[in-house]
Amino acid sequence: MDIYAFQLYSQILKIFWRVFLIILAIVFMVFAFPYVKDVLIMFIIAWLLSVLLSPLVNFLEHKGLARGWAILIVMILIFAIVGVSFSLLIPRIIRTVESIISKLQSDVITDYSLKIENFFEKNFNNAELGRNVTATLNDLILKLLGSLGEFFRSVGSFLASIVIIPFITFFLIKDARRFKRAFISQVPNRYFELSLNIIHKIGNQVGKYIQGQALDALIVGILSIIGLFIINLVFDGPLPYFVLIGMFAGLANLIPYLGPVFGAVPALIIAILNNPPNLGLVLLWIVIVFILVQAIDNAFVSPMVVSKSVNMHPLTVVVAVIIGGNIAGAMGMLFAVPFTGILKVASSQVIWGIKNYELSHPSRVGENLSKKDK
Amino acid sequence: MENPIWGNGFFKKKKKEDDIFKILKQVPIFSDLTPKELTEVEKIVHKRSYKKNETIIHAGDPGLGMYIIVKGSVEIVEQDEKAGKRTLAKLSDGSFFGDMALLDEDPRSASAIALVDSEIMGFFRPEFLDLIYRKPKLGIKVLLALARVLGERLRHTNELLTQIQEKKV
Repeated sequence: MDIYAFQLYSQILKIFWRVFLIILAIVFMVFAFPYVKDVLIMFIIAWLLSVLLSPLVNFLEHKGLARGWAILIVMILIFAIVGVSFSLLIPRIIRTVESIISKLQSDVITDYSLKIENFFEKNFNNAELGRNVTATLNDLILKLLGSLGEFFRSVGSFLASIVIIPFITFFLIKDARRFKRAFISQVPNRYFELSLNIIHKIGNQVGKYIQGQALDALIVGILSIIGLFIINLVFDGPLPYFVLIGMFAGLANLIPYLGPVFGAVPALIIAILNNPPNLGLVLLWIVIVFILVQAIDNAFVSPMVVSKSVNMHPLTVVVAVIIGGNIAGAMGMLFAVPFTGILKVASSQVIWGIKNYELSHPSRVGENLSKKDK
Repeated sequence: MENPIWGNGFFKKKKKEDDIFKILKQVPIFSDLTPKELTEVEKIVHKRSYKKNETIIHAGDPGLGMYIIVKGSVEIVEQDEKAGKRTLAKLSDGSFFGDMALLDEDPRSASAIALVDSEIMGFFRPEFLDLIYRKPKLGIKVLLALARVLGERLRHTNELLTQIQEKKV
């Protein structure tokens, strides 16, 4: 049967409205983004927390506790731990970073700059080149530390200024199923099972990925603290902030390939700043400790706790880190790889759904509706 | 006549919940549950409305869970390349289908199509597994009842097979 243009009119109108609404939504999101950015970040943090805490809540529920009580107990516990650690740690971290910056600005950089300039003058007979090299290096180090200080300061004020995150987390854990049901109830029948299955699979895989990454970061952090503590014992305390350095190394481990390097840099800088009598040996041992921690992580910890399906090509990691850094600075660099991991896990599940569900089935493309219309 | 003040509020909701409980009680895998346990099940089922001729499940799709007919009628059909469409069963209020999918993700063996506008409840494997972990007592109760249903079905299939074999001999 021939189809005339006027018969397609209603369909064209329908498509037009759909496209128009999508464009409107995108434009709205672009314009509204600066105003909702903070709330969005709060929700993302609360969601991450809810993913991390849900297994604990489920465990308590499994042991016979009512879900409400289980969430309340876990939240109080987390409130206490986070509150105490941040009230103790954040001011200390900010002080440490600022003291390192001021130390660098005052004497150490000048000292090392002179040494480098002398080296270039002696070996290449070119003091100008030496001055250029030191100027670039100074700039780089100060920028890096400046962004680090800014990062911790923003995290500190962020966490101090909002008590909303725990409340959002509470309701995200408590009513997660209700939210999911409300969302899925809006999906048309023809895509209902497909959507439900994909949402479950994504939730499951992403949850495992986030929990695995968090556990991996925790273990690497603890191992680094132990290693640096031993260095402190053997060499008479060249690393006064070893707990903080270890924590940073754990966090930096969220970035594969580059993370271990980022993690070791603060330890090396602090050792150089303290300038212990056997500096060379201390630096060597710091490098050995971080290599050992990485070896243990790669051989035993990662294979057990981090999903293999999220293995990323080094190039993907580098690109993700650069883009993350451009979007949100140090914080963006840190969370770019986990975010890419989440995207990878989610997209692999969507592809699974598309492969396994017959999307071109007549009943899915509206055959029944046309029958009904007749 | 419906109370104009309370008609759309609490009482109506309570009545709807009672209806759902009644339907759930008819399903063998939930028949042993207490009202409190039924409330837990009610929290995880999905209520859907299907128009006449609308497909509920597609043969060949990965199995996700079972459906319970709250109101309406559903036809279970098998599509055969040679024989064409074959109706396996016609189900009505309180009946259920797709229960095997509570155990694994094997592809659906038949399609289910609504014969009239129908209200259906879906009970799915991921939520069932979650329930087993969170509320082991309740989960085991449902699991045992499911095993009983499948056992009965297996026994029935065995009897049919024996009859066919006896006929051949």
